[in-house]
Amino acid sequence: MNIIDVNNLTKAYGTNAVLKGIDFQAQEGEIIGVIGKNGAGKSTFLEILMTIKQYDTGTVFVFDEDLNSLPMNRLEKIRRQISVVLQPTQFYQTLKVEELLRLFKAYYKSPIDIKTIITDFKLQPYRKKYFDKLSGGWKQIVSLAIAFLSQPKLLILDEPTTGLDPHMRNILWTYITDYNEKTGGTVILTTHNMDEIELYCDKVLLINNGVNEIFDSTEGILASGYTSINAFYLEKVSI
Amino acid sequence: MLATQLKYDLLMFSRELFYLVFTIIVPPVTYIFMGQLFGDQTYAGNLSYAQTYTPSYILLITFTTVFFAFGFDQVTHRTTGVEKRIKLSPVSKNTLLLSSIIRSVIITSFGYMFVYAIGMVMYDLQFHVLNFMISYGFFILLNAVLLVIASAIYSFFNEMKSALVFSIVIFQVVIFTGGFAFPISMMPKFIQVIANFNPLFHMNNLFIFVWNDQLVFDKSIFISIGYISCLVIAAFLILHFSNKRRI
Repeated sequence: MNIIDVNNLTKAYGTNAVLKGIDFQAQEGEIIGVIGKNGAGKSTFLEILMTIKQYDTGTVFVFDEDLNSLPMNRLEKIRRQISVVLQPTQFYQTLKVEELLRLFKAYYKSPIDIKTIITDFKLQPYRKKYFDKLSGGWKQIVSLAIAFLSQPKLLILDEPTTGLDPHMRNILWTYITDYNEKTGGTVILTTHNMDEIELYCDKVLLINNGVNEIFDSTEGILASGYTSINAFYLEKVSI
Repeated sequence: MLATQLKYDLLMFSRELFYLVFTIIVPPVTYIFMGQLFGDQTYAGNLSYAQTYTPSYILLITFTTVFFAFGFDQVTHRTTGVEKRIKLSPVSKNTLLLSSIIRSVIITSFGYMFVYAIGMVMYDLQFHVLNFMISYGFFILLNAVLLVIASAIYSFFNEMKSALVFSIVIFQVVIFTGGFAFPISMMPKFIQVIANFNPLFHMNNLFIFVWNDQLVFDKSIFISIGYISCLVIAAFLILHFSNKRRI
């Protein structure tokens, strides 16, 4: 089943055309990495999928709904099935971790017990800490814990591991892959770390000059003669 | 959901020292200080200090609460990315808005009672049930007007620094041209001219009249009501277009 179906998507900021015709599909249970150089339009693309950014032309279907013609109540219904981790991760600065979890549990009407989430994500030592006082890595973990509260069918992550040390990256990826395996949820993410793409992603979308230059499986790219996804990226994308 | 949102909105407000100082501390302290200096004087309409400045300082608390804890807070959430994250959550805009409005009403009502109590203890302010109820009703209306205007003004800001500078400057302008520091008639001519463009000056006058049962629908009252109404309509239009821009 197609969770997302994008055809000939375009988006410009004034005269700056960022997306010039993206085609993209995501199916249930896939982990898809979106790559491209800084300013390529990755975040813009994700924000369109998140339903918070308008686009110019093309069609975008999320959960079989055409985003272009949706009233607000239907849009909110779609948003209920999507969870996100944004870059940078921000929540109410003067709430503590446990308070944030309780607030978002109410937003999502989540049946998940807060104590379970705190235990699962090893947040016990941080539950009384203000979100603003956490390190970047723990902010991302909290953000992911909040994202999982909604038991989403689609998880969108914008550079979730940027600035994290290898241990924190590892922890974060463990949670993401566990979620994917347990729930069959779809994950779409952007990253500049090509090792992560190679290790964890089923498919890769390379946005270059506003179009999807490559949209293929990770295995397919490697089978076409590249020694690694990093080598593929360096060859395909010039500075 | 509304109760949960409101609980956390109030909790967040109570943890912001900056908001607390400007909303709950500065206006009552100024009310007491000015009362010590000018408490014996008689003001326009043969009113005492308490009759003139109690409604003024209640309005000042309302202004600071609405502009800082409601308007400025919106900019903070917009610039830090919180607004975007909340927008992605399945909580309706109406719930968030209603919670903000109730929060403002609770905080400003606390300020209302606080200044009222100070007035009764220190400046011989008299309590009359009917007058109290009418004044409180009018205060809620002013609250709503300020919420709409603040929301529209702060919708223009995308940077926290500029919103903060604006907030501090506007606070000074409102104090001096709203009739909160000294009667406008005692101010230099140019301040008197500027005061006519300050909606808080008009609201202040109206509130003092309502508070003291002196509201007579003459030309100046109609000008004040007309001016405030025009600003509210303009604010609604701005909010309508800025919401369309952001969806």
